[in-house]
Amino acid sequence: MLLALYAALGVVALPRLLSQVAWFERAPRLAIAMWQAACASVVVSALLAALAVAVPASVLGHGLADFFEACATLLSHGVPFTSASARIALLLAGVLVVRITYCAACVLLSARRERRRHAEMLAIVGRHDSRLGAMVVDYDECMAYCLPGRHGLPVITTGALRTLTSAQTAAVLAHEHAHLRGRHHLVLAAVRTLVRAFSGAPLFARASSEIARLVELLADDVAARGHPRVHIAAALVGLATGRVPDFALGAGGETALVRVRRLLDPVEPLRQRERLVGILTIGVLLAGPAAVAAMPGVRAFLAHYCESFIF
Amino acid sequence: MLRGLGDLEATIMDWLWAHRRPASVKDVLEDLRRERDIAYTTVMTVMDKLHTKGLLKRHLAGRAYLYETVASKEAYTADLMRESLASSGNQAATLVHFLERLTPEEAAALQAALQVYPPKEHRP
Repeated sequence: MLLALYAALGVVALPRLLSQVAWFERAPRLAIAMWQAACASVVVSALLAALAVAVPASVLGHGLADFFEACATLLSHGVPFTSASARIALLLAGVLVVRITYCAACVLLSARRERRRHAEMLAIVGRHDSRLGAMVVDYDECMAYCLPGRHGLPVITTGALRTLTSAQTAAVLAHEHAHLRGRHHLVLAAVRTLVRAFSGAPLFARASSEIARLVELLADDVAARGHPRVHIAAALVGLATGRVPDFALGAGGETALVRVRRLLDPVEPLRQRERLVGILTIGVLLAGPAAVAAMPGVRAFLAHYCESFIF
Repeated sequence: MLRGLGDLEATIMDWLWAHRRPASVKDVLEDLRRERDIAYTTVMTVMDKLHTKGLLKRHLAGRAYLYETVASKEAYTADLMRESLASSGNQAATLVHFLERLTPEEAAALQAALQVYPPKEHRP
């Protein structure tokens, strides 16, 4: 019951809480982990809540092996669950699992199909530049992005190459390589799966947009290890201003400003204590639901052993 | 250096884009053979594949097909680049760009931010 309440509350309250954390921009990696933990914690508690209703605590108490055995006999002999609520809870848990799996498959497959098609076309209109380690496309607009996947490559247009100095180009490509090496597309696919599965949930929508923003900051930081921050900032501005402002969508501006400011005013990394608090929060978010769900089980487990001591 | 069918596709498309006229497999093959040893059937297969993909259109002229490009290289590039911009929203097809689109005002604000810290030796 507690878990169900938490899952319901968390979907609404967690995005508000997490949005107020001030240090997220200083430690994007930890911040991404925090959002992921928040999402996972809500999904897991919803699942556990259903299971807790369906499976009596006494079964859990006798150890996991017994628990699985109990499940197996239930399944193989088709013994109906004792109560209607147990059946409904199990059904809900099943629907949840199936829905998430289905959406994950959709997100991953459609992304892969599109990537493959894009890569095929890219191979025809672009050329591979082994010196840059990137695909170069003849196009006047300044663009740089990367195509993830097994043979992932950064893509840069000739327009961008004309606008940027070679040091800036190297910084841009380092940023894109950071995306590829960090498998950021999988991080995004995971959270987009949840958005797709539960389209109305504020937590997942917020987590998706925040993670999309944070992976950019993270890639900037990784690139900044090998390239002066000012080159990345200058490259950002060069790409932003050197383009034909034809079909502009304003939504990205805020992120770009944050990124340039961050790059020019290197933020101090998190202090040990703040980092520890962050890691602990992630731990609580992940372990909390399991602990709450296990509580009745543990109690039954202890009771069981006390009994055997007595007799 | 050319490797695999993907590269051959690019070579053939480039040839057709450069020559700007319908061409048969034999026409393309003659030019390609100057650079390397390649079988007629290989070129035919690849051109057939490009037709299936919608990059080439063809009509029968005598006993052989004459192939020509459906659109210019510039048009294909523009489509592809536009697609890579559009897909950052929902599909994970291409990963988030180095930078999303900006309004002119935002771009000006960015430039102003950079003016305060001019990267002396590397001004854009």
